[in-house]
Amino acid sequence: MALFQIFDPSARPTPIGIDLGTTHSLVAYTVDGRPECVLDCDMSPLLPSVVHYLEHGGVMVGNAGREKAALHPRETLVSVKRFMGRGADDAETRRMGPYDFAMPEAGQSNTVRFKVHGRTLTPVEVSAEILRVLRTNAEEKLRTIGGAVITVPAYFDEAQRQATKDAAKLAGLEVLRLLNEPTAAALAYGLDKGRTRGTFAVYDLGGGTFDVTILSLDDGVFQVRSTGGDAQLGGDDMDRAFAEWVFRHMGVDPATASPELVRAALDAARLAKHELTERSNTVIAVTAGETTFERSVRRTEFEDIVRPVIERTTPAVKRALRDAGLRPEEVDGVILVGGSTRVPAVREHVKKLFGQEPLSDIDPDQVVAFGAAIQANLLAGDGAQEDALILDVIPLSLGIETMGGVAEKILPRNTTIPAGRAQQFTTYADGQTGFELHVVQGERELAADNRSLAKFTLKGIPPMPAGAAKLEVTFRVDADGMLTVTARELNTGIEQRIEVTPSFGLSGDDVERMLLESYEHAESDLAARQLRERIIEGERVIAATEAALKVDGDLLDEDERAELDGALKALRDAIAGQDGKKIHHRTEGLDRATHPLAERRMDRAVQQAMKGRAVAEIEDTVKDRPEHPHLAASYAADEASDKET
Amino acid sequence: MTDPFELLGVERRFSLDRAALEQRHRDLSRTLHPDRYVQSPAGERRMALERAVAVNEAFRALRDPLSRAEALLSAHGLAVGDADRPSQSLLMEVMELRESLDEARRSPDKVAALLAQVRARSGSEEAFLASVFDDQPAPGADALGRARDALVRLKYFRRFEEEADAALDS
Repeated sequence: MALFQIFDPSARPTPIGIDLGTTHSLVAYTVDGRPECVLDCDMSPLLPSVVHYLEHGGVMVGNAGREKAALHPRETLVSVKRFMGRGADDAETRRMGPYDFAMPEAGQSNTVRFKVHGRTLTPVEVSAEILRVLRTNAEEKLRTIGGAVITVPAYFDEAQRQATKDAAKLAGLEVLRLLNEPTAAALAYGLDKGRTRGTFAVYDLGGGTFDVTILSLDDGVFQVRSTGGDAQLGGDDMDRAFAEWVFRHMGVDPATASPELVRAALDAARLAKHELTERSNTVIAVTAGETTFERSVRRTEFEDIVRPVIERTTPAVKRALRDAGLRPEEVDGVILVGGSTRVPAVREHVKKLFGQEPLSDIDPDQVVAFGAAIQANLLAGDGAQEDALILDVIPLSLGIETMGGVAEKILPRNTTIPAGRAQQFTTYADGQTGFELHVVQGERELAADNRSLAKFTLKGIPPMPAGAAKLEVTFRVDADGMLTVTARELNTGIEQRIEVTPSFGLSGDDVERMLLESYEHAESDLAARQLRERIIEGERVIAATEAALKVDGDLLDEDERAELDGALKALRDAIAGQDGKKIHHRTEGLDRATHPLAERRMDRAVQQAMKGRAVAEIEDTVKDRPEHPHLAASYAADEASDKET
Repeated sequence: MTDPFELLGVERRFSLDRAALEQRHRDLSRTLHPDRYVQSPAGERRMALERAVAVNEAFRALRDPLSRAEALLSAHGLAVGDADRPSQSLLMEVMELRESLDEARRSPDKVAALLAQVRARSGSEEAFLASVFDDQPAPGADALGRARDALVRLKYFRRFEEEADAALDS
């Protein structure tokens, strides 16, 4: 007899946190606020980020896929994260990998495409396969899952962030937030240890990316001070350097080696690297077809080989410290994240950089997923005031190209998000009727040396003498770190707004098409899904409105209250009638009707935040932190001055 | 942009208690950050986002002495734009500093010494700005003009400091 689990269909869906990693991926959730990883059928939390494509459709993901890598190197995609958001012509994508790339055809976007069994696949589609497995594993454990927080390297740029969001959408996940990996780790550490204040550095060396983040923690607010890194540096580079050393000793030129041999050398290098973490020597063995190679390696030899890779993390660490205005010894704790920080030489290096023993009491492989799960739970919660809050930053400066090809920074790196800033520009030619805008990301002086994110033109401006037109360009970055650019000519009011879709990313249409093509979403399915989503959205707005009325109903007069009640009832009726269009329409109606209430509630909350803390509370705070007695004093001064004005 | 002092509810002064300013920013962020509105209706989410952006922008303006001085000048009706001409003597001074920096580039100690020297110059300009904005209830046109000159110098020193910083990087 089958056993059925008792399942409450009205139970709140469990929000999840996903670490979509270069080498492996994890999904976690929280139980009573404590994070736990979902284990797969092998009882392991780590799903290798490997996707093998079968000849007649279908995929094998994880360990099963990895086993296929040796015999089918071109059909088995390993470390696909390195290709996310990359251009097809990007030199970095070609470095020593066994893959067969397809150049974009006319009309296709300039994104990396792998040729597998005669079809072409983008990194977004491959990543979606990994996310689907994680989703399924989570659903088996938790039944209904809610929204997901997905982590990305802090140093991921616009294109890479967008690609990650697209992959999640393709896998049928609702993305609550993209969260930077080091920030996730700090969240897990900070909350785990019950720490209330301090300055931390997170050194995150993963399979393919390196991040360093300096952040401070103050009464539950995690504020990122600075971040830096290299989106193309990680354990993979150690493996490559090690494999190149193997090739040298074999007398083989890696450029002409077969894909099987390249794969075998990389795998052998990774294995030997792991062994040298525990032992002082090992044997590296490569077998591919007829070719075999064997040699013993000492740890010190290995360390000499990978030292240049580890050294590449130094400038980013130094810069992050300087950006935060800190000396290494002012950091209260250094958190290690990422499997590559298991390598003893990496730990030694970190110790030397910061002059202190780094922390690693939470498993560096799981800590990011833990943080993501905690954040997902916070976002799905009711937003109580005592909850932790993350204030993150943009990792790279955002700007536009001006005369002479100079990149003018509008939002400098390490600006706290959400952020927005407007800057005015003018025409340089008489009668100029269009402005070409080139949006770039990076720290270099010249636009051409930075990453090009988008180009667009504001047209239709009436001819004016040079310098007379006033173009206002507004950059806006949301809490996911995604950029929107608006350009407006102030004399005429002509406006254009774009969501920055990088030129080598996928267009919104591409993603829609992939959604339709994927077997899970046949046309009929799509309609049902849309209705379901609209009902959920409608119910969410009703619940939020009712909660707001309960607390702050006094902010509305009778007429306003009646209007809001009417809008509530109308939406409830539409949901009962299961009419998707009507639900959508009336959700928007209710949304509009709540504006006065929302506005006044926010004003009230801001006033409370400013008046602050009741006097008793301040006294408590002072007792908690004898090292900062001037805090309370300055508050008193603030309040006094409020009264004077 | 609205007056950042008013938005953050802090006194209009040049010398600010940085810890208190950060505390105020955290308190307002707790109230307005988009994370608090994930479950809210779209309109409310947008509204909170706008306000969170404004608060972050005001915080950024007040945290840095340079932009704080700009905000104070513009509160007194004096705009500081790119059109402000540096004096001949300032240009000469910065040019000499640049030459010294080029010569010192290979020696981090010398670069650090130059940096310290310019930081000290910035520090005295900041002290002057504090005397204008904090010591007098309503600074006159003359004082404001001199404050603007100090701000222009501060900007040039800042740019030099950034270059020297970058030189230490490489």
